[in-house]
Amino acid sequence: MRGNTMDRPYSRARILVLLAIILVLIVADHLRSPTFAFNSGQGNVETALTQKDETACAPCGAPCPSTRD
Amino acid sequence: MDDSAVLPSGIQQPQWQVDRFIVSTALVGLALLGGLIWLETAPFMVALFAVGTVLGMALYHGAFGFTAGWRNLVVKKRGAGMRAQLLLFGLTSLIMVPMLHSGQEGLVGAVAPVGLSLVLGSFLFGIGMQLGGGCGSGTLFTVGAGNIRMVVTLVFFIAGAVLGSLHLPWWLDQPGFDPVPLVNTFGISGAILVQFVGLGLIAWWVNRIERKAHGNVERGELLWKGQSHGVLRTLLSGRWPFTWAILILAAGNALTLGIGGAPWSITFAFNVWGAKALEVVGVNMSQFEFWTWDYPAMALKDSVLTNIPSVMNFGLLLGAMLAAGLANRFNEASRNRPEGRQFMAAVVGGLMLGYGARLGFGCNIGALFSGIASASLHAWVWFASAFVGSLIGIRLRPWFRLPN
Repeated sequence: MRGNTMDRPYSRARILVLLAIILVLIVADHLRSPTFAFNSGQGNVETALTQKDETACAPCGAPCPSTRD
Repeated sequence: MDDSAVLPSGIQQPQWQVDRFIVSTALVGLALLGGLIWLETAPFMVALFAVGTVLGMALYHGAFGFTAGWRNLVVKKRGAGMRAQLLLFGLTSLIMVPMLHSGQEGLVGAVAPVGLSLVLGSFLFGIGMQLGGGCGSGTLFTVGAGNIRMVVTLVFFIAGAVLGSLHLPWWLDQPGFDPVPLVNTFGISGAILVQFVGLGLIAWWVNRIERKAHGNVERGELLWKGQSHGVLRTLLSGRWPFTWAILILAAGNALTLGIGGAPWSITFAFNVWGAKALEVVGVNMSQFEFWTWDYPAMALKDSVLTNIPSVMNFGLLLGAMLAAGLANRFNEASRNRPEGRQFMAAVVGGLMLGYGARLGFGCNIGALFSGIASASLHAWVWFASAFVGSLIGIRLRPWFRLPN
């Protein structure tokens, strides 16, 4: 049975530490973002909740070849 | 959980073992991250996070791998995976092409320029798929399911994507032309019809290869074979027939378009994660042209929780983890750790996947799946170039000690 420590092919502690690191990185990134500043009541910050550039020529935001010099 | 109510009386269903630790951890992760997204962004982001989670479960339980599907056709001459992909593309284009041209404001399709950048990028991506062991979605859902080798692939996928973002402006200046939406030439119905003809021709070619090699065409993969388990148990613990995965993936992409305003994409998030990591160690990314373009600049500057591909990828990873826990198969593929040439294959494959995805305007999801769902010519060019690259990747696999 996979639930037994003997047979389990992974370390529970390792999984928890890894996920905790990812969560900390996400939170750290968020805390230094304009969205967090805006949510904290700071004015004059430009947030980008709807990140979209409808004039772009590709999903990654690349411009059209015809517009390049 | 007990779904014996759906079984005929007298049939004993096999015992269902769940990895409670993995299931609990995934659920806690979903609740924590979902709560954070709810508190700090907007309800539509939570909805997209949920869509990503369901897509992760569908990819895992449906074993919906683009890479293995292509390889099975080439090596084993079996086309079930390939046919499932073609069905998925057809169904999704039937839903999304009219959606995109319904006149609703704010919906943008996955269209991209056609040129040297696209051809080379998708070709490299095709090689990388076979060496890295997965495509964009495949890499993510297998990482979520605890596959160590795919973690290596993902790390180098991210590195390659960032490198590609630095070079993409140069590649864009090479021969190429602006996006070609098929709807502009054929109209909505015509574009769908033209794509159906294209998909039908590929299906005919796939069936021909399979019949020639085996004398028949496998249909079983599309059908539900878990009758002894009942519907609910199969839904939660797998394995799903391809038809279930096709329906969920098509609905998921359409929902992503409806909620987020653009079709499903994966690899742009890898660019953002890699660029943010470089900024943390002091690299000024705004010195590179790609990161001065509006969308990448916005994504880099703001929280990953406001970036749709990132939020959906987080959901996908946790969804696949949940599914693997429910199937009691988390980390199952990692009993043999990658060493030597296999490790090298994950490194080289990951780099090619990332670099190729950036030059090719996305991966099998953002460029191929969402591109065909948007009736864009670039998706078809991507498909052909990536398949040729995949043929080379399959030939290279034995040298890297990877089974074919």
